[in-house]
Amino acid sequence: MTSALGSIGSRLIRLVLLLAAVAAASFALMAASPVDPVDAYVGGDIAAIGPEQRAQIAERWGLNDPPLERFGTWLANIARGDLGYSHTFNQPVADVIAGKFLTSLALMAVAWSLSGLIGFTLGVVAGVRRGRWADRVITWWAYTLSSAPTFWVGLLLLYAFSVSLQWTPICCAVPVGSIAGEVGLLDRLHHLLLPALTLSLVGIAPVTLHTRQAVAVAMASDYIAFARAQGERTFGLVLHHVLRNAAGPAVLLQFSSLGELFGGSVLAEQVFSYPGLGAATTAAALGQDVPLLLAIALFTTVFVYVGNQLGDLVHAWLDPRTHRAEVTA
Amino acid sequence: MKRVGMVLAGVLVLAGCAAGVDSKSGSGGQTPKELRLAIGGESADGYDPTLGWGRYGSPLFQSTLLTRDPELNVVNDLATKHSVSANGLVWTVDLRADAKFSDGKPVTAEDVAYTFTAASKSGGLTDVTALAKAVAVDNDTVELQLKRPQSTFVNRLISLGIVPKHAHGKDYARKPIGSGPFTLVQWDQGQQLIVQRNENYYGTKPAFERIVFTFTGEDASLAAAKAGQVSMAAVPSSLAKTTVAGMKVVPVKSVDNRGIVFPYVADTGKKSADAGPIGNNVTSDKAVRQAINQAVDRQALVDGVLEGYGSPATGPVDGMPWYEPSSAIQGNDPAKAEELLETAGWKDSDGDGIRERAGVKAEFTLLYKADDTIRQGLALSVADMVKPIGVRITPKGVSWDVIDKRLHADAVLFGWGSHDPSEMYNLYSATQAGVEYWNPGYYTNPIVQKNLDAAMAATDQATATKFWKAAQRDAQGNGFGPAGDAAWAWLVNLQHTYFVSDCLDVGKPQIEPHGHGWPITAGITGWRWSC
Repeated sequence: MTSALGSIGSRLIRLVLLLAAVAAASFALMAASPVDPVDAYVGGDIAAIGPEQRAQIAERWGLNDPPLERFGTWLANIARGDLGYSHTFNQPVADVIAGKFLTSLALMAVAWSLSGLIGFTLGVVAGVRRGRWADRVITWWAYTLSSAPTFWVGLLLLYAFSVSLQWTPICCAVPVGSIAGEVGLLDRLHHLLLPALTLSLVGIAPVTLHTRQAVAVAMASDYIAFARAQGERTFGLVLHHVLRNAAGPAVLLQFSSLGELFGGSVLAEQVFSYPGLGAATTAAALGQDVPLLLAIALFTTVFVYVGNQLGDLVHAWLDPRTHRAEVTA
Repeated sequence: MKRVGMVLAGVLVLAGCAAGVDSKSGSGGQTPKELRLAIGGESADGYDPTLGWGRYGSPLFQSTLLTRDPELNVVNDLATKHSVSANGLVWTVDLRADAKFSDGKPVTAEDVAYTFTAASKSGGLTDVTALAKAVAVDNDTVELQLKRPQSTFVNRLISLGIVPKHAHGKDYARKPIGSGPFTLVQWDQGQQLIVQRNENYYGTKPAFERIVFTFTGEDASLAAAKAGQVSMAAVPSSLAKTTVAGMKVVPVKSVDNRGIVFPYVADTGKKSADAGPIGNNVTSDKAVRQAINQAVDRQALVDGVLEGYGSPATGPVDGMPWYEPSSAIQGNDPAKAEELLETAGWKDSDGDGIRERAGVKAEFTLLYKADDTIRQGLALSVADMVKPIGVRITPKGVSWDVIDKRLHADAVLFGWGSHDPSEMYNLYSATQAGVEYWNPGYYTNPIVQKNLDAAMAATDQATATKFWKAAQRDAQGNGFGPAGDAAWAWLVNLQHTYFVSDCLDVGKPQIEPHGHGWPITAGITGWRWSC
């Protein structure tokens, strides 16, 4: 019991340290960035904005204080629970993130489940049928997917399903022209489908290939030969003896892929004009919106960290050997 | 497989019902209730004019004191009259009495004074820093007092939408209230903006009850057009060659120009405030600058680089009311270019194809923004065009970072274009040399300066226009234009391309400024359905 509490405590301390490091590093990167925030904000209006006006803009955003002082102020505000104000969206950072996170969460959850399920199933099939045509097709398909850029795949899907077949909408998370109250769950799912599919494709290939390997190893083991000798059919073999053993790598990969999932969502959201955190991250980075970008960095850190910890737990539950190893260590 | 298709088709039918009236349903000769446009233009920080909303196109929710008609002449909107004091420091504006905000309260001089004061302190994207004080003299007269005479201040009267003093709070940018042709229904950030006709609008009422702007990327906008889901889509000219059923391509003229700025002064080892080198010993010679202006085949650039969607540019304000046509040069004439160089003493004595004079080779670097394919195409083509006359231009794609350091010593390919002649002032006035990206070449000519200053100090637009024109080329032939000092080599004006439904009549669009998409909404209240 005490060891469990201690383990949670040490994990929390590690998280806090990690957050501090991420915050400092992100801030240092932003401060060293050659992009001038005022230039980024002014953009194409550079001819119409004079030096006096630029000074006003810098003043409004507090850019005149030295970087260390700005970081200090920001830290003090964070400690009080105030995430600051986003100048890109002219809104408190907390509101920006709250508004976008739910949309993003739905997208990532669906994509994550899809890529896990599809990847694992394909991996099992390929592993069991190793060397046969099914395996070759799946392996080829996995390699193709892992080398295809998300952005491009998204556009292809958009043209196939939204333009030619017109099965899915072109853009957005809600039907164009609909008032918020009229949008039903089915509408939302319909708009989620294609971006989620695009995003899931990013994660399928690694899960498939690792699972294939794990299944192949399991299939070649003595206990499978023994079970086979007892008359078990392939389906039963896979179900009772292989799945649990082969799930380890898939689970670890799946949970640790949350970071990549987030990165992929930036692109998928852009193609489908899906207004999630990914789109906000791009806007914040391009506009040098320091409070927003830092908040998103921290948020993502927590997200990925929790994902990895969950992966550890589930893996330990699936495979008691790792659990023992941890205790002795 | 078939079953999957049927299920998906079923989903589509459901979604189709929920999506409401589409533009297609107007085929019965009736104007559809709703118009859908994919022309970008989302203002991420909301719809507050004091932060810069509405500086292009229509501010939708607000209305402005003055406005520009399709020919870009200044006409009244909220104002009924305006006058400028003899010293140019006091602008007096009379307001119409019948304008109401969408919450029913009248638009008063107090609101106008408040709007200008707020905008002058907001630190947003509208520069009202010339304003000293705005005073409501009575209920329908407002006095705008300036710090310095500025004839271009008229553009603030044209672009600044009036906000209600009583309702301009923290969430105004998300819940705008104004006296414009539309009111906000809903804004799904990053996705769409739904607006509805303001039935109490004092001006020409729009033909459409509701307009939905979708904020898709270029590819998705084209996809939406192909799928018949929008009545208008702004696309880059490189995508305009495709055909879309039921839609026509509408190319709109613009003053969205591209041109080369030459370092105007010789390199004497001087440095700018941030330690960048100033001057170039080749481009500081007028003969070289004029020869390049003569040698460039601008029509070929339009056809080759812009695929026909553009026009030759010979000045920064082509087609604007203050444009001086006589400052332009017609066509191209490499023979004349060579003659100019010969006369100035640039000769190819070592036979390597590049002229030289007093040990200086006629060569220089041309910087352009590396990720911009149009600028790249222009830079490479220009280098090819001047090679035969014995001038070597080395085009170099770089980041703004590099341009920031080198822009006073190397030629740079820039893009400008505005409905506000302040831009022309900034590009050519000696007072703006080395300020921001303005006058990077340190151009200076006392005669031109006098005309620019006179235009700025003018108290009526006709006088200002007269001096703006003279700055390009006056009666004696002085001016910054290619026929005079040739401080720049302007190359092309882009055309902004839109796919527009065959049924949608957008009238005569204004010549658009730098920026593709939203500016077309300037005439949105006059758009009609013609099927």
